Amino acid sequence: MDTYKIIEIKQSVFEDNNKDADLLREELKKGKTFLLNLMSSPGSGKTTTVLRTIEALKEEMGIGVLEADIDSDVDARTVAQTGAKVIQLHTGGMCHLDADMTRQGLLGLGTEGIDFVILENVGNLVCPAEFDTGASKNAMILSVPEGDDKPLKYPLMFSIVDVLLINKIDVIDYFDFDLEAVKERAKKINPNIKIIPISARTGEGIDEWANWIRTEIKKWKQE
Amino acid sequence: MHELGVVIEVIKTVESFAQQNGLTKIDTLVLQIGELSSMIPKYIEACYPAAVDGTLLQDTRLKIEILPGNAICKKCNKVFNLIKNNMVCPSCTSKDWEILCGREFMIKEIIAC
Ligand SMILES: Nc1nc2c(ncn2[C@@H]2O[C@H](COP(=O)(O)OP(=O)(O)O)[C@@H](O)[C@H]2O)c(=O)[nH]1
Ligand SMILES: [Mg+2]
Ligand SMILES: [Zn+2]
Repeated sequence: MDTYKIIEIKQSVFEDNNKDADLLREELKKGKTFLLNLMSSPGSGKTTTVLRTIEALKEEMGIGVLEADIDSDVDARTVAQTGAKVIQLHTGGMCHLDADMTRQGLLGLGTEGIDFVILENVGNLVCPAEFDTGASKNAMILSVPEGDDKPLKYPLMFSIVDVLLINKIDVIDYFDFDLEAVKERAKKINPNIKIIPISARTGEGIDEWANWIRTEIKKWKQE
Repeated sequence: MHELGVVIEVIKTVESFAQQNGLTKIDTLVLQIGELSSMIPKYIEACYPAAVDGTLLQDTRLKIEILPGNAICKKCNKVFNLIKNNMVCPSCTSKDWEILCGREFMIKEIIAC
């Protein structure tokens, strides 16, 4: 008779992805392509912000976009009209991207001559926070109508991002949204977080955002 | 829902572990999931049969152990369960805490030969 025994594995399921993400980060470094992972709830303004970002930076660098956000009223075609290189990723109903899917996307896009790639992640604040995509930097958007208590509800997301864009600042007067409270809550979770209020609609704050990207790419190149 | 994709990864990992260790029969697979993980045990169980179909784990039983989602209060240092206390410190009502554990998603062990 076979004798069954207990065999310990003790392996974190995310470990493989974490390793893969580190590898992808190195590959991108060698290829000189800076990857920004952009996350938010659906409708916070990721695509609109991507369009503004391309507009602000396209004269200075080659820009690519990985579009993984499916339920959006502005899609890959809209982004393509800006002249940036864009590819729509088919996530097959997945609610996040992992490093391998990101690598496949980058291969499909082709990063030759591309200095800066924005990954518009799937719209949700839970799952993408757990999966390192291999991005050089991580950004999230919180829009004013979503409310100022989001950092309390999604602490993990706020803890892993380098920069927080507070979007739709143009409508702040119509909402009960305490900007200072959000800043304080986010900083409590993540003391190093950079916070930039913007309006992807009016263009307010986009200069500061574009500058943040320029600076981070420069630092990254010198690392 | 991302459970299916993740469970398929788990199965692949266990299969290659079994291969490397010369195991041919796996009776039970034990996973550990933290209460604060985005993996929902109910969904994992639901997609498990589809994920193991045609693999070495086809007849393997799945067991899931839940690990508590605990935090330490930054104001009064109390350690408490976040879920049971609605994310608020039960002794001083502070919302300023740090997660200690509960985000895990681990392949703990297998019972095999
Ligand atoms: N008022 C206002 N609306 C915005 C702003 N940015 C985006 N929107 C609108 O919000 C909706 C969702 O934007 P979209 O970029 O598709 O969000 P995504 O789902 O995160 O990609 C669209 O109707 C946009 O026009 C903003 O700064 N102010
Ligand atoms: Mg979108
Ligand atoms: Zn307390």
